[in-house]
Amino acid sequence: MKKLYKNIRIATVLLSSLPFAACEGFLDLSPADSIPSAVAITNKETANAAIIGAYNSVQDYYSGYYITLGTITADNVSYNGTLSEYLQLDQNSVSPDNRGAVYVYQTVYAGINSANAIIATVGEVNDPLFSEAEKNRILGEAYFIRALGYFDLARGWGGVQLQLNPTTGLGILSGIKRSTLDQTYDQVLADLTKAEELLPDDDATTRNRAQKNAARALKARLYLYREQWPEAEAYASLVINSAKYTPVKPFRTFFTPPFLSAESVFELTFTSNDKNSYWNLWYPSAAGGQYTLKPSDALVAKLNDPGAGGTRHEIIEGSGSSVYGVLYNTVSTSTDPVYVIRIAELYLIRAEARIKKTTPDLSGALSDLNKIRDRAEVPRFDSADRDAIIQAIEDENSIEFAFEPHRWFDLNRTKRTGAVLGLTRTDYWLFPLPASDILSDPDVEQNPGY
Amino acid sequence: MANIFDLFKSCYQFLYSKKHAYALSGLLILSTLELHSQTVIKGSAIDAATEEPVAGASVVVKSTTNGTSTDANGAFTLQITRELPVTLSIRLIGYKSQEIDVYDAEEPVIISLSEDLNLLDEVVITGYTSQQRRSVSGAITSLNLSEGIRETAVSGFDQLLQGKIPGVQISSNTGVPGGGAVFRIRGSNSINAGVDPLYIVDGVFISNSNFIATNMGGQTQSNPLSDINPSDIENITVLKDANATAIYGSLGANGVVIITTKRGKQNTKAKISLSLSHGWASAIKKFQSATGPETAILANEAAYNTAIDRGQDPSAITLPVADPLNRPTYDRNSDLFRTAALSAYEISAQGGNSNSAYYAGLGYARQESIVKPSGFERYSGRFNYDNNLTDKLKTGTSIYLSQVYRNVSSNDNNPKGVINSAIFVRSYLPVYNEDGSYARYGSFDNHLALIEHLDNNAVTWRTVGNLFLEYSILEELKFRSSWSLDNIDLTENNYDDTFISAGVSTHGAATSYKAKNSVYTAEQLLTYNKLFKEKHALSVLLGNTVNAVQEEYARASGQGFATNDLKDVSVAATKSGSASKSESRLLSFFGKTSYTFNNRYTIDGNLRADASSKFGKNKRWGYFPSIGLTWDASQERFIKNANVFDALKFRGSFGYSGNQNGIDSYAALGLWSAGSNYLETAGTAPSQLANPDLTWETTRQLDLGFDVALLKNAISFSFDYYDKYTCDLLLNVPVPYRSGFTSFLQNYGAVRNSGIESGIQSTNITGKDFKWTTEFNISWNRNKIEKLASDITLGASGRNASILREGYSVNSFYLYKQLYVDPETGNAVYEDVNKDGFITSADRQIVGNALPDYTGGLTNELTYKDFSLNLFVYFQQGNKILSMHDFFLVHGGTQNNIGFIPRQLERWQKAGDVTDIPRMTTYNGDPAINNGSANNYGGNVANMSSRYLSDGSFIRFKNLAIGYNFPKSVIRSLQLSRLRATVSVTNLFTLTKYRGLDPEVNAQSGSQNTYGYDWATTPQPRTVQLTLNAAF
Repeated sequence: MKKLYKNIRIATVLLSSLPFAACEGFLDLSPADSIPSAVAITNKETANAAIIGAYNSVQDYYSGYYITLGTITADNVSYNGTLSEYLQLDQNSVSPDNRGAVYVYQTVYAGINSANAIIATVGEVNDPLFSEAEKNRILGEAYFIRALGYFDLARGWGGVQLQLNPTTGLGILSGIKRSTLDQTYDQVLADLTKAEELLPDDDATTRNRAQKNAARALKARLYLYREQWPEAEAYASLVINSAKYTPVKPFRTFFTPPFLSAESVFELTFTSNDKNSYWNLWYPSAAGGQYTLKPSDALVAKLNDPGAGGTRHEIIEGSGSSVYGVLYNTVSTSTDPVYVIRIAELYLIRAEARIKKTTPDLSGALSDLNKIRDRAEVPRFDSADRDAIIQAIEDENSIEFAFEPHRWFDLNRTKRTGAVLGLTRTDYWLFPLPASDILSDPDVEQNPGY
Repeated sequence: MANIFDLFKSCYQFLYSKKHAYALSGLLILSTLELHSQTVIKGSAIDAATEEPVAGASVVVKSTTNGTSTDANGAFTLQITRELPVTLSIRLIGYKSQEIDVYDAEEPVIISLSEDLNLLDEVVITGYTSQQRRSVSGAITSLNLSEGIRETAVSGFDQLLQGKIPGVQISSNTGVPGGGAVFRIRGSNSINAGVDPLYIVDGVFISNSNFIATNMGGQTQSNPLSDINPSDIENITVLKDANATAIYGSLGANGVVIITTKRGKQNTKAKISLSLSHGWASAIKKFQSATGPETAILANEAAYNTAIDRGQDPSAITLPVADPLNRPTYDRNSDLFRTAALSAYEISAQGGNSNSAYYAGLGYARQESIVKPSGFERYSGRFNYDNNLTDKLKTGTSIYLSQVYRNVSSNDNNPKGVINSAIFVRSYLPVYNEDGSYARYGSFDNHLALIEHLDNNAVTWRTVGNLFLEYSILEELKFRSSWSLDNIDLTENNYDDTFISAGVSTHGAATSYKAKNSVYTAEQLLTYNKLFKEKHALSVLLGNTVNAVQEEYARASGQGFATNDLKDVSVAATKSGSASKSESRLLSFFGKTSYTFNNRYTIDGNLRADASSKFGKNKRWGYFPSIGLTWDASQERFIKNANVFDALKFRGSFGYSGNQNGIDSYAALGLWSAGSNYLETAGTAPSQLANPDLTWETTRQLDLGFDVALLKNAISFSFDYYDKYTCDLLLNVPVPYRSGFTSFLQNYGAVRNSGIESGIQSTNITGKDFKWTTEFNISWNRNKIEKLASDITLGASGRNASILREGYSVNSFYLYKQLYVDPETGNAVYEDVNKDGFITSADRQIVGNALPDYTGGLTNELTYKDFSLNLFVYFQQGNKILSMHDFFLVHGGTQNNIGFIPRQLERWQKAGDVTDIPRMTTYNGDPAINNGSANNYGGNVANMSSRYLSDGSFIRFKNLAIGYNFPKSVIRSLQLSRLRATVSVTNLFTLTKYRGLDPEVNAQSGSQNTYGYDWATTPQPRTVQLTLNAAF
């Protein structure tokens, strides 16, 4: 009997309800590749990591689809692949779940959320090793990234919903409706003004992080889009006058390693650990690419015309029906930068501002235009006709930035999309908002026509 | 590893330190022993049919615990303390239990056992226990893997079950051996959490997550269940209802599949079995392309029509292909296929002595895919051993080791996949360049380059092991401690040499992956079984499990190799790598009790409490109760008197089970992920919103059923109705992108699955030489999303052809509905759902569903003397398939680099043509205008039109096996105990209206919500296989 009781006791002890509390620790696990949101920005190191993360989002959307959104949609690049998201963009009939448009929209906002978190918390960080100057630099970069994000959204989708606080929970989202295009651009301007104030003065070499001039250059572009010609001219001049930048010669210098040439005002750097395989969309499969994006026949003709393309023909290779673009060309290393703002653009911004301002400055405009033509080794352009000069600037922009996201947005801002591309239905000048947002967000309204 | 065992230890130490006796002692009612003079009864048990001795039968003096079992010669000796006469009760699984009165101990007692045919006497495996079916309230299907089933040419045991188990839908994703399969027990319970059942092999919870990294474009790369050798399996039991699965609590909501492997029997002499098989597999249908001239004509027609649409003079334009009629045709599709070889060799030994038993098996299987170059090869070994250390202490182990090699090649939506590189390229384009090198066009690689040079090799080492100790504290009270491990070690080496497009630019690219997945389970069980006063049977089980899943990944890649002979990442010009790990844990306590009165009425209940590390602290624990009732009416006198039913049982169960599978280990935490780097500097970015309230997805299930046997058990029938309601879905609720996030995992939404399932087994003829049995089962399941935050669209690589919408079933297709092609204009006319005069994204609608209305199977088995024939037919009805081949390859000319399939030839050409393929054009004018040519192949509807959707119902003669048992004379002369030869044909033929290669296809199996796509997938092959089985 005794033995039996002993047995019972062992058995009952074995099965006695485990002390749940003692084992709660057993269930507390945390990942090794992420940190809790609550401690994401708490000192100098984490604040630096956060701003790097924000740059990473910009890298993501530019190397992802943004360049494609601004090129295949217009007349310099045509569709040559199999993936229907590119076909839709080429045909300018973009569905609300077009992968490229959705990806960019989503990723821009991810970057804005990073920037918002930095703007909201970095000022409050209590770390004796974290200097005021450094805080200002990080804040300035965050304002710049937010400005760039909203600008890139606005020119693609029109006025968008302005998120200015970090998303800590879903409650914070409700009630924010779409702003008008003007309100969105106002926000970009406000952020750029902040950025310009907080960012450090330019040093001689930094081109892949924002310093004051990057903010000024983006401001010049913003004024151009808002047709504030004197301001556009003034801000373009501020950047042009900096000794840090010059249109490089030969043309290919800026897209040839080691990159970060004097051409670049703001360039996103990629490395072998942080790849940009965008070249893959341009190269034929025989060279290891997908060949989805192909220079249009019309562009090839222009580039090969010494009177129009000049040395810029070096952005294409191949012949006959297999011409392909080589602006993005690091086939073996996948380290092509993204050229967000080049000094050439500032010259063309100023040229356009000068010719379009109330009292047109023809010679100033021509001199800026020819600065770019000289560099490409094409004959200088001369005309006394304002409209002809405007047309020449438009054409120059088209060739100069053939594989960079300019042409589509330029045609839309000058309302020439109908005339040039035959796309008369203005609804289609804007991309549709993502279908998923239309379903999940009671505050959003789709662009007309979609 | 060390760390987790420490934790186990600390938990158990705490438990040992408590020195209290608990209420449990109330359960232990002691039996008293009376002392009498001793009598010895001797006897033996024989099989009534074969008259051969039966070993291992238990012989017990009725209503006592005094008993023994028969030895290898069927003999037994039993000392009794009672006075004669006594009643002996003889039981053995597979035989009818018998009682025999012994009046005289001097004569040996000969007990003739007849095979058990009554389905209610069958012993079935339930969660942690086994019970007679009589008292089982749940919906449980048990399948012994007979030869007829085993001889189907598949690589995974899950595929063997297709059409065999009512309520279970099984469908292979692809015809590639070792490829994945869909396995759904009573429908899909969830949207974002896992929908696969829990698989348990000999008590080990095994993982069925795929770890192969090669991108197969949305296709699941492998089926980890095919790591398990089906030849070792004795029985597979599927638990479907809430009461059966509740004991598995949070792991059981999707059903439980319990696999029992072969074990030796005590007191049986060694039996050595040998099996050799060889087979040949070939494609039933191959991919089709339009010929060179046809392709050229179509391309030119598109250009001509486009010119008209643009208002140009069509005769003035240059047509894209000159001299179309004289274009050659290059047949790439045939190059893909081969007659694939299959072979399998097995050897096993089993037996046992008086206190131990063993089973040992070695297996080798090799299966080539019919589409080059994929293949599958498995080496496996199993050792199962049981030993009675003392009368009361028993220990045992089950150890399984396998090495599985898979040659995987990219396919589906990858333009650099093998199949795509053949079917997409225009057929008039030469395969080789003039200089003899591989020719490539557009985005596509050269198919022969891929077949000859792809080098993707994945090797899995898998260990499934269990060690248990069972101690009989009392005859009726047992303690069992079980420790299990399922370990997967995967190494994958992929190399793209410079003949492959992906290796051209990099001068060779190599990637090595290592993945490790370990599932640890420690389980402590106490069981109590007792029959009181011959009428009250009580069984109680209490238990606790601790479960941990650890995953580790490492990846290294290198680019730039001096020559193609160098493949190691270590010698690449540039290298990069990464590694990561994660872990989740589960702590559970459970109890189960069952009471049967007079063999007629059973009530049983389960309760399980689970805590998961995946959930927020606030709601970590989940409690899952269930209850079941059973009435064995055939025991009632009035039923017995009616003399109609040999068995008649009614059962009902109701209960809850939970689900936490398939969500991330750290899903409840608010996180910033690291690795968002820039300028070689480490960065962080917000990646996940916190949800401290995240908790269990709960499934509530009602099951009502009955089992009947008639005509002396010649016909048995079972029927079940169930209704499952899953709420608090672990749902990735899409959030506005302006939040910076794409989705938020929360408990939101509900899904209902309801249906009926039934099975009939019939012994049609039992003669001396001829026997014919039939099994038929059929199941209907209706799935409906009851609650969802908003529509979720997904699938087809961002084309979002599938939708999840409240009020509809999961796996619905969301497309533009093409009404007809206007016979006058040739333009496609789509339904303008919102009647605004334009075709916009608002006009998409649900036009069908990928889930079948019903599925089932019919098995006929005939034996005549030494011959046997087994024919199995599988069918499913009512599912739709979205053919991405039609989407891509009937493109109307919009794709300059893509050829056509013959369906494009059915296009509208002239006024009066009636067809569903619109006029060829690439015109992209205003696609908002309905009935305009811009909508034929472009515009919004380029995304997805209903003309790509078709009925995928089919009836498949899945397996035909003809076997011959060599006569005894031959066997004896060869010194064998058995010799059998079989010819089997798998996928003999298929009846279907589907025009693609194979209606059993699931190209986007990477997500459970994108079922029913056909896209560059290897079809199920027809396999002829010869098998020779011998036993010594």
